[in-house]
Amino acid sequence: MSQKGNFAKYLNRMGWLFIAPALTLFTVFMLYPIVSSLYLVTRKWKGSTDSFIGLGNFVRMANDSVFWHALGTNFFLMVVQIPIMVVLAMVLAVVLDQGIRRFRGAFRLMIFLPCITSLVAYSVLFRILLQTNGLANNLMIGSGLISQPIAWLNDPFWANMTVIVAMTWRWTGYNMIFFLVGLQSIDREIYEAAEVDGAGKLYQFFRITLPLLVPVILFSVVTSTSGTLQLFDEPNVLTNGGGPANATMTAALYIYRQAFVINTDFGYATAMSYVVVVIAAIFAWVQIRLLGGERK
Amino acid sequence: MKKILTALLALAMLVGVAGLATAQAKKVTVWCWDPNFNGYSMKEAAKVYNAAHPDVTIEVVDFPNSDGVAGKVQAGLQAGGAGLPDIALFQDFQIEQFITSYPGVFADLKAAGVDYSQFASYKVGPMTEGGKVYGIPFDTGSTGLYLRADYLKQAGLNPDSYLKNLTWKDIVALGKIVKAKINKPLIAYDTSGWEFLRMIVQSAGGQFFKPDGSLDLNTPATKAGIQVLKDLNDAGILGMTEGWGNWVSAFNNGDSAGLVSAIWIIGTLKSQPTNAGKWIVLPTPLLNGVAGAQNASNWGGSSWYVFDKSKNKAGAIDFLKSTWASKDPAALGFYNTILKGAGAMGTYLPSRSGSNYVAKDDFFYKSQAVYADFAKWMEKVPALRYTANYTVLGSALTPALSKLFKGELKTPEEVIADAQTGYKQAVSQ
Repeated sequence: MSQKGNFAKYLNRMGWLFIAPALTLFTVFMLYPIVSSLYLVTRKWKGSTDSFIGLGNFVRMANDSVFWHALGTNFFLMVVQIPIMVVLAMVLAVVLDQGIRRFRGAFRLMIFLPCITSLVAYSVLFRILLQTNGLANNLMIGSGLISQPIAWLNDPFWANMTVIVAMTWRWTGYNMIFFLVGLQSIDREIYEAAEVDGAGKLYQFFRITLPLLVPVILFSVVTSTSGTLQLFDEPNVLTNGGGPANATMTAALYIYRQAFVINTDFGYATAMSYVVVVIAAIFAWVQIRLLGGERK
Repeated sequence: MKKILTALLALAMLVGVAGLATAQAKKVTVWCWDPNFNGYSMKEAAKVYNAAHPDVTIEVVDFPNSDGVAGKVQAGLQAGGAGLPDIALFQDFQIEQFITSYPGVFADLKAAGVDYSQFASYKVGPMTEGGKVYGIPFDTGSTGLYLRADYLKQAGLNPDSYLKNLTWKDIVALGKIVKAKINKPLIAYDTSGWEFLRMIVQSAGGQFFKPDGSLDLNTPATKAGIQVLKDLNDAGILGMTEGWGNWVSAFNNGDSAGLVSAIWIIGTLKSQPTNAGKWIVLPTPLLNGVAGAQNASNWGGSSWYVFDKSKNKAGAIDFLKSTWASKDPAALGFYNTILKGAGAMGTYLPSRSGSNYVAKDDFFYKSQAVYADFAKWMEKVPALRYTANYTVLGSALTPALSKLFKGELKTPEEVIADAQTGYKQAVSQ
């Protein structure tokens, strides 16, 4: 008995030993910042000056229309961009999986390639393409589609469209891969049975493919939602720090600007981060419930 | 064997550490951001210094832009001063944010014996805190209105007749003619910033902040300045661009007939050699109806700062003092060199006797002696109070001006009200 107990103790010790490096890193770089940031929330910490202000940062936040506007931008992008991207990813996946026979690998690569390009590099490229005297406007004017250049980066509405186009370009391929995997896991016999029963392609898509892809759709929406909540690079680089007139300002970008650009206000930035974390947590909880529901 | 190895290793480390220590004492590290401009100027200063002090190494580290330097300095300051250089370059509008947020971080150079009466006074203001003065002023952002003489001729105008003090009303009239005749906007405008308005307000001696640091936008200069922007925009005279690269291509490719900028843009203009002989530079237009307005203003400009905790503080200060703030002929000669080499015009007043200050420049129409002009205008630039909240004000005024251009805001008063609301929300009380 005692022998066995010693062995269990030994295993226990070894277990702790093995996870010690990871645990140390986690404690130093994750746990400690999270705990210490709880303290930051109550401080007015500008540069090296620091004083206690209790809930002052949250009072300020409640009155800060730029912050709420930025959160609104996040939700707007979420509601508009994610459906476009998910539908596009699904359609592309179905076409690649069932529609075409040749060059499938090449097409797959082409569509996937954007999501391994650097966020900053592609934002800069889109900027150059879409500026008033850029290639996009010149081509459209040249072909007679429009008569006046579109202010892709200079008009609040078009700037948001630009961000949506850029995000869709970058992330559609990434999501398409999940749909391709999902499609391959659907049993071909179901389609054969449907064909025997005389179901057309479209009917098959809506009655077989779509219902069986629901878990993939949910997964895709969940990951995109958290990605959009943290959106930073595109508005920072593509539309010059959330411009024009803060039209593309997102929560993450505003937090960064308060801490590092327009103020050195780390306390306020931390307080805003907590609000974003709470919102992200609520979203995650709802979505996990939805995903869990599907599994049963 | 093992013992010998250990001993050897220990010895090697000791020697290494000692070597490092002596090397550090003779080394001054400088952070700046443009190898063709301020980095180049600092290297020229290092050459002059090394002639007398061959044992000192001046290491110039280039960053992609001024935010890169400011961001890394900020990270270093948060880490208790770790990894900071001896000297860093900051934009004049940025520095008060650092002086207020990080008290005692820079070395007091007035106490170290720098004579600030020899520098342009508008440069010394932002770096002064009580009786202390922290920086060594670098370049001037003396402004002018750059116009394409060939476009003016195409529009049936005589470029020479515009080389004089004009007002913004004159420019609106001129812009309308150019727009009507050759369908080009007279001035390329960058919507990602608000420097244009700041430049107009400063030319009239206006301020955005009261002496106590509180915001004051309801001034005659600010109202008149916003009205000028509205008039220019309504007449279709502003060629709208978004961001630096787009702005530069607009005037270098000839989409716009001109721009308002500072002396330091000359290097960028010269990067388009096909435009040689086409540019003229007019004095900054005068703001009508505001008392004390000048045909001169400032745009940009930066200064050098020594960190108080720098390991080689004395060495860094001695280097700056004996190059950037010295009447020694070699030092004055270096100011003359960087003016020609990079279009960098120093703000050390005794330095303006150099030969390049009166030289004609073939890149300009009829070889205009532009440096003499900019130096003359620099003397008239009214001082501007930046305060620690200057960047916050920009984050409120830039969107407000965008709304003015879109027609969502219609009068200067509406723009001011919008910017005030934005400022109150973004600033931390």
